[in-house]
Amino acid sequence: MTPDPHSAPLSMEGEWISARPARAREVLARLATLPALVARHRDLVTTTLKRDLTSRFQGTLLGWAWPVLQPLFLFAVYYFIFTQLLGQKMPFLPEEQKAGIGVYMFVGMLAWTAIGEALARGTGVIVENGNLIKKLAFPSEILPLNVVLAGLVMMLFSVLAFVLAALFTPIWPAPGMAILWLPLIVLLQGLFTYGLVLGLSTLQVFLRDTQQLVGMVTTVWMLATPIFWVPEAMAKDSAIAANFGLLALNPVYHLVRAWRGALMGDVNLPESEYITGGAAVSSASVPHHLWSFGLWAVGAYVLGYAFFVLAQRRFADEV
Amino acid sequence: MSTPRYALECEQLGKAYRVYSQPMKRVVETLSLGRYRGHHEFWALRGVNLQLRPGASLGLCGANGAGKSTLLKVLAGTTAPTEGRYRTNGRVASLLELGAGFHMDFTGRANIVLNGVMMGFSKRDLEQKTPEILEFAELGSHIDEPVRTYSSGMGLRLGFAIAAALDPEVLIIDEVFAVGDMYFQKKCVDRIYQFKKRNKTIVFCSHSLYDLRQFCDEAIWLEHGVTRAQGDSVFATNEYAAFQRKHIGSAEEAARSEHPEVPGLGARARHELPRVVDARIYRLGTDEEVYEIQSGDSIEVRVWWENAHPEENPIQVGIAFMRADMTTCGGQATHFQGVKLAGKQGCLVLQAPRLALLSGQFLVPIVLFDGEGVHKYQEYLMPENLLVRAYTRDIGLFRLDLAFTQRELAPPPPRAEQRVASGA
Repeated sequence: MTPDPHSAPLSMEGEWISARPARAREVLARLATLPALVARHRDLVTTTLKRDLTSRFQGTLLGWAWPVLQPLFLFAVYYFIFTQLLGQKMPFLPEEQKAGIGVYMFVGMLAWTAIGEALARGTGVIVENGNLIKKLAFPSEILPLNVVLAGLVMMLFSVLAFVLAALFTPIWPAPGMAILWLPLIVLLQGLFTYGLVLGLSTLQVFLRDTQQLVGMVTTVWMLATPIFWVPEAMAKDSAIAANFGLLALNPVYHLVRAWRGALMGDVNLPESEYITGGAAVSSASVPHHLWSFGLWAVGAYVLGYAFFVLAQRRFADEV
Repeated sequence: MSTPRYALECEQLGKAYRVYSQPMKRVVETLSLGRYRGHHEFWALRGVNLQLRPGASLGLCGANGAGKSTLLKVLAGTTAPTEGRYRTNGRVASLLELGAGFHMDFTGRANIVLNGVMMGFSKRDLEQKTPEILEFAELGSHIDEPVRTYSSGMGLRLGFAIAAALDPEVLIIDEVFAVGDMYFQKKCVDRIYQFKKRNKTIVFCSHSLYDLRQFCDEAIWLEHGVTRAQGDSVFATNEYAAFQRKHIGSAEEAARSEHPEVPGLGARARHELPRVVDARIYRLGTDEEVYEIQSGDSIEVRVWWENAHPEENPIQVGIAFMRADMTTCGGQATHFQGVKLAGKQGCLVLQAPRLALLSGQFLVPIVLFDGEGVHKYQEYLMPENLLVRAYTRDIGLFRLDLAFTQRELAPPPPRAEQRVASGA
């Protein structure tokens, strides 16, 4: 049921609009009513999201097959390169988990790509759409939201590719009950990414150096997150191993752990004289990691959106 | 909350832009938490008060950079005021710039939905209105081509068609008559009139004082962001025109404002729209063409016109005498005198017995209007100016019947208590 559009004004009709900055109470109200705002402007959200997604595949021969083909291809690459060619590194894995390292990287990459891409595309989203912001009165938080949602949609295609591969090939066992955590994982990841993009895109309006910094920081961040490496498979006496405790401070570490637990089940590495060993992937630890990541997500959302709301009224003058 | 009586209301509205000479100054200012001020403020708008009832229309005039567009932007809600406050009652749609909000790579049809949902309308609403928009914009098969390929006129047509079809309570338009061929301008004019009739509120700015006078009940003349004159549209535009004339340096602009240039007629217009074919000046009642006269001579202006569709497009003609400094000294129009121009062509004669203009060069602009005398189809400017010589020593524009005489009279009785004229 679409409600009467005339009951959904952009600003409160008949309310005075003045130069007074938003009060703390009003900012909090904005944070809490984001779902209502999205519901009211769902046509705007869906239209622009569709526009964003279709423009990626417009004019291609395969069209909407691409978002599934891309991750399938990526999955195949990880499987062959890391499992078949370099897979000898983990001779202690049981037979059905031989593809462990390739799948491990694929799942880590799937979660990271959505964040990394949203940061790369989202930081400039307010500035790049300056012409819209200057000429049309619309809720500008829709712009970063779109970037985040587009990333999440593409990520879900990767999940689909993984599930298809797990169900129909012998590479990896199909996900168990832990996959039911997925909606919560995706929601929290969306909240986290949205908070970051809101904050960074606002900062970019006032400080154009932000985009450059974000580019550098995300690269470091990706490398510091166990996406292509397994902390439990690191050399035991390495000085680096002592720093693994710091991983808990990286929100995306918790996120990828949760993702792997939900999709991959359990992978245990036996302790040996070379490696630290332990549960490289654990479905039982998903709630723990989600709890840690959830705190980060809510924090990022509150801070990012509050900063955005306070600065929003000056966007049109600065872009 | 009391129900606002006004469609649009502003109190002491002002807008300042912060200007930083270097990006570093902004960082320092932010980090100093208000102790260091790295910017200077530029007030684009200050102290604007206005109240518009539903159905009223407001025009803004003033030179470039006077703050017209800033005021429109603030009222449209795209930029926040720096001081003062405003409120609108009802939905607002705005057309601030050609193709604002258009996605260049998408088709016109896709952009209708995109543009509309941006302004807060539902997709269903827009799909319903698409046929109406298509009909109005007359883009034909172009509607399914990317907007990138559109000409500025086509973009305007689509933008205006969308804004008009959304049927807002308040419509805000920046310089709508600037582009588009005559045919489309006429359509816009008609649409805006319909809009007014349905008790909707329109705010727009224009360099054409004539348009402002015709459309607007009220007008504001802005200069350097401050209201110079406000009130009845005739009053405000006259104040502005008088100011322009005084500052002769801007005579060029005055010329453009009062009688804007007619943009090149579109292909369609050239064949179908009414036009003035020729115009000449003769000595009254004779066939002697004359462009140099003495003050007080009698002349007539003959205008040959054509109108392919007299029933569909009734026309009116206005003729004026304009001094070189752009002062309109006098003029008449057929709709002022109830003259009807019937048929597909004809010759209209304006008789001017004893034309008492004082010496000078005079332009004789001839304006071809639509039936209501609102829309200008064409402004015909004769190649010749009318040169008037005067051998009397009068001052002013006209030779009035003035004469001196002297008499032997006693002084008058003392005056009663003087009343001070107020508000003159």
